[in-house]
Amino acid sequence: MTMPIIVNLDVMMAKRKMSLNELSEKVNLTLANLSILKTGKAKAIRFSTLDAICKALDCQPGDILEFVEKR
Amino acid sequence: MKPTTKVILTILHVISWIIFLGLCIKTGAFLYSFIVSLAFNPEGAKDLYMGLNLSALYHFDIGYYVVIGAGTILISGAKAFLFYLVVKIFLKINLVAPFSKDVSLLISGIGYLAIGIGVLTLIVSKNCDWLATKGVAFPDLQSVLGGAGEFLLLGAVIFIIAQVFKRGIEIQTENELTV
Repeated sequence: MTMPIIVNLDVMMAKRKMSLNELSEKVNLTLANLSILKTGKAKAIRFSTLDAICKALDCQPGDILEFVEKR
Repeated sequence: MKPTTKVILTILHVISWIIFLGLCIKTGAFLYSFIVSLAFNPEGAKDLYMGLNLSALYHFDIGYYVVIGAGTILISGAKAFLFYLVVKIFLKINLVAPFSKDVSLLISGIGYLAIGIGVLTLIVSKNCDWLATKGVAFPDLQSVLGGAGEFLLLGAVIFIIAQVFKRGIEIQTENELTV
């Protein structure tokens, strides 16, 4: 089942011109976990992870997460 | 994991292997002497396995003899397979992340098999009781068949554990997919 929450991490990374490796080092997450988040396979995200990503990308949680209602 | 738990698990693994091999030998010996008694020498029915004498049943009706003999072999074979599944669980289980699909399938299989053994044992022993009322002299089959109630209870408990295990897999997957 696809989630109605879309993760726009790749969009923000492109805007900040940051690679996955660079972000992985900054937020202290493994590439595998970041990849799970980026591809939308993640079932949940910790506040600490969100906090670290927002700090690293200088953005708001709403820039990364988006709610799209399924019809 | 505590070192004592590891030791206990290793001992249980070895015991499971021994029981599995013992049951395989028992089933093989039973099957062999049963086929010999049917095809070559009816005297074989006097000592099918460890002194089990079904010659009275053989002379009463060969059809009933085949049913009871085949049922007993089937139960013994199913018990051997059950212990094979237990051995497989010991080989596959990873106690760091124990909730895997393979182990869940094995636990469910053991549950269904235990219930099957219980039902089959019940059918065979009730059949024996009925034949005894017809005047057939029966040896004590309880030692060969084992208790039906125990296996039904075991099957029911394992079935519940299998359901809990399935939920455990869901929780573990969710935990692994939490970033």
